[in-house]
Amino acid sequence: MTDISRRDFIQVTSASAALLLSGLDNTVIAAPAKGYPMKKIGNIKNLVENEPFAFTYPDDQSPCLLLKLPNEAIGGVGPKKNVVSFSTLCTHMGCPVSYSQGRLVCKCHYSMFDVSRNGQSYQGLASQWIAQITLRFDAVTGNIYAEGVEGLIYGRIGNLKLR
Amino acid sequence: MSLFKRKDSLPIPPVDSEKYTTVCQYCSAGCGYNVYVWPENRSGTARSNAFKVDLTKQAQLMSGFSYTETMHNVITRKNGKKYNLAIIPAKESRINKGDYSIRGGTNAMTAYTPTGITKSRLKDPLLRKNNGFVPISWDAAVEIIATLTKSSIDKYGADSIAMKFYDHGSSGLGFEDNWGAGKLFLSGIKTQYLSIHNRPAYNSEVWGSRERGMHELNYDVDDARLADTVVLWGANAYEGATVFYTEHIMPNLRGSSVEEKQKEFEAGEPAEAGNIIIIDPRKNATITVSQDINAEKVLHIRPNLGTDWILANAIARVAWENKWYDNDFLQKRTDLKTFEEYKTKSLQLSKSLTALLAEAENITGVPVKQIEQAAEWMAKPKAGNFKRRTLTLYEKGIIWNMKNYDQVAAIAQLNVLTHNVGRVGTGCGRLGGHQEGYVRPPAPTPGSIYAGGPPKNVDKYITGGGGKIYWVGATDPYLSTPNSQFFKKTIHNRATNLLGYLEQGGIPADPKAYAAKVLEAFEKTNGLFVIVQDIYMTHTAQDAMLILPAAGWGEAVDTSVNCHSRLLRIYDKFMDAPGIALPDWKILALVGNKLKALYAAEGNKEMAERFSGMDWKTDAEVFLAGSHEFGDNKVAEADEAKLSAECYKGVTHEILRKLGNEGIQTPVRQDPATGKLIGTKRRYKYSFASKDGLFKWYGTDAWTGYPAEVSKYINNPTYPYWFTTGRSQHVWQTMYHDKLIPEKYLSLPLPYLEVHPEDAVKLNLKSGDMAEVFNEEGSCLALVYVSDATKPGLVFGIMYHAKGSMNNVISSYTDPKTTIPWLKGTKVGVKKYNGTPDEAIKTVSLLPNNNFTM
Repeated sequence: MTDISRRDFIQVTSASAALLLSGLDNTVIAAPAKGYPMKKIGNIKNLVENEPFAFTYPDDQSPCLLLKLPNEAIGGVGPKKNVVSFSTLCTHMGCPVSYSQGRLVCKCHYSMFDVSRNGQSYQGLASQWIAQITLRFDAVTGNIYAEGVEGLIYGRIGNLKLR
Repeated sequence: MSLFKRKDSLPIPPVDSEKYTTVCQYCSAGCGYNVYVWPENRSGTARSNAFKVDLTKQAQLMSGFSYTETMHNVITRKNGKKYNLAIIPAKESRINKGDYSIRGGTNAMTAYTPTGITKSRLKDPLLRKNNGFVPISWDAAVEIIATLTKSSIDKYGADSIAMKFYDHGSSGLGFEDNWGAGKLFLSGIKTQYLSIHNRPAYNSEVWGSRERGMHELNYDVDDARLADTVVLWGANAYEGATVFYTEHIMPNLRGSSVEEKQKEFEAGEPAEAGNIIIIDPRKNATITVSQDINAEKVLHIRPNLGTDWILANAIARVAWENKWYDNDFLQKRTDLKTFEEYKTKSLQLSKSLTALLAEAENITGVPVKQIEQAAEWMAKPKAGNFKRRTLTLYEKGIIWNMKNYDQVAAIAQLNVLTHNVGRVGTGCGRLGGHQEGYVRPPAPTPGSIYAGGPPKNVDKYITGGGGKIYWVGATDPYLSTPNSQFFKKTIHNRATNLLGYLEQGGIPADPKAYAAKVLEAFEKTNGLFVIVQDIYMTHTAQDAMLILPAAGWGEAVDTSVNCHSRLLRIYDKFMDAPGIALPDWKILALVGNKLKALYAAEGNKEMAERFSGMDWKTDAEVFLAGSHEFGDNKVAEADEAKLSAECYKGVTHEILRKLGNEGIQTPVRQDPATGKLIGTKRRYKYSFASKDGLFKWYGTDAWTGYPAEVSKYINNPTYPYWFTTGRSQHVWQTMYHDKLIPEKYLSLPLPYLEVHPEDAVKLNLKSGDMAEVFNEEGSCLALVYVSDATKPGLVFGIMYHAKGSMNNVISSYTDPKTTIPWLKGTKVGVKKYNGTPDEAIKTVSLLPNNNFTM
């Protein structure tokens, strides 16, 4: 049983490693989840590094931001795989988060999410990582589209279930 | 793309879902939670559901209702059917008001599921055989333990049994399990070699306060919102007792509790946003969050390691010199005989103030100006000569400091000198780690060296070859005990020697024959029979001979009190334990009852009697049985100090179930006139907990430098760095659950070390590198974060992590007055390590966790 326990642990870590590899490999484009709209957000030419662009997705009650980062990020698109997008509702209690210095910060209870690391909550109260918007990049036009959401947007029973 | 599978919708509980109330299984805050269970194939609707919330709309921020990805799970009950489980923060709890922490927010994820992340829970008793562990029945396990225990007691005496068990609440424990453990080990076996989960002996961590007549849990959460000044001393509240900070300290700093203050304070008394004094060698997130809220209201003091009692005495001397005390209170409520000793040794009135402050600055490294400012903020009367209201909370930075007794006593006395206890907005005690839930027969060692102690050091006993059986319950000393590398190596050798003997000629299958062979091994080898009772396979369990599967949080009915209000609530059972796992009290009762039967069978009435009184059928019966230990609680309000801090006599599980998230505050009194149960909001308004009701002063020791175990490193260039340890916001204890939760282990994949930028340059380290930390005690590997949280010359490590312990480098020194270890200070060398022990290093965030600036 000691062996079983050890093996379980290894399985967990290697599973995460496998996920991580596919996460960093941009040739693997995740299929859009069912029911999410495809929405054009902007064009890569108009993005300025570290200057977030606000939009809503998948509906007008869900504020999000689009960001061009200095370096490659998990889930990033574009030639440098450095364009990411997140919901801006803190997953802790729904306060708005703001972008600065590589992370989203919530001033209600000081949760912080790393935008280049899958929105992981590396400090604060949020037990859920912030929802990351799945992007599609059109290399010909430079257009960037939102096509899905990974993770639950705060304050709803389902990302597509508002009435 | 995501590092782990995410959800984008959650099931809705129907109106008729089963509903339970519980309290978070983790920290001292004790946030209230509501639990919903409903069949997997059923669903409520967005408009009609058990939450009674309209789920058709986008929720507003801070509505107090949160239901996130981490708050849902699917469990399988003993009937084989699947059920949805939702565990959400209770808006109606006055402790958390719907708020929750990164730890509590994952309560649902920790529920046992046969195929999910928690599938590795222990399900059967396991006996070590030649090639690993094999499942056995409870009958066989109990037969082996009881036979071995009895034979050991009879042949070698009760002290041949050593134990290490919890004494706290939460984590699936509480009054019931503590009473079970107390009956077996303290009334029945009666060994002196008892130790508490996180330390080498059986002791209070705060005898320095208790022996003054002041129990450490004497305040209410409200006091943190009402205080003029909150002092956090070696107590990282934002990262350790998070919701207590965000719901009760933060509003005070922000000024949003001023209206409450105006209502509670005396007429005309000034009421404004609170100050906070944080005494901590690190600039951790509690400090930087507080500074971000209002930097002018924050005083951060960074003493040299081990020197805090000198600082506390110096602050007290400034208050004394300025007459910032209430003479009437000192005369009437404190013991003037012992006060002389305090004045001589602690306040050192024979020295001039200037000389004393200069000396304090020299020892502690704290500038005189800061000492004076701290005294002002803690004790200087407000405009109109109203007494200032200060709430002082300390935790492991003080408790696990050098000279535990004097550290705690000095802080307790500073607060009593300035009358900061027993009044609205005051109090002095622990921030707490776990919740509490202690009820046991009297311990063999009643107090410190001044009160019948010190207690035996069990770590030194068993690493020195003492004891035959070592029973470890719900703790993992291979990670958590000081000097853990040496401890682990020694126990491993003793366990291996025992196993080696058993394997000669084969391990007997019959429990009686097995026990007989173990007894032979006790004679022929220095072997130690290790029993581990837990919910998962632990590091220590790798060397166990027998592993006992325990029920966890939510799998049995438990009761505990939180630390910041002594709020007693029920932690109801909402699901079944895995396999044949049992609640701790039941496991201990099985062994106790078997021992009783074995002694009765040979006509030894005296010994049989020692193991009587454990024939409980239900959790409620154990709770009731423990309550009699508290004695008579039919006392008037003015006599509350006579009651034990956790007294719940008269309370039943049924009553607590009705009270739900409201609970009742211990000590509970039974009104002498009406018999009605009445809780106690705040303690020591009328008298202290000593025989004559007066606070007992104590003269602390003078500074004499560091103990030999640490002073050997001073001026040794191989170990240039001071080393201190602490916790992380993310994880609880050894990560026994958290190591399975992707949100947690991906964010905190390895033990980590914080290194100051200046030292990082010298060591050629950057964030994301690995470093080896070492000294003559041992070594450990850690992931490096370059951070200005530490000072140059000081490195900080997480105490322990599922993947390793930094207590490997901690010495075995304990305070000779209490046997409490100095877990938070030693000296080490640091060296860059070339290796990547975990893939998750590539995806972990390396951003500094104490920088909240925009």
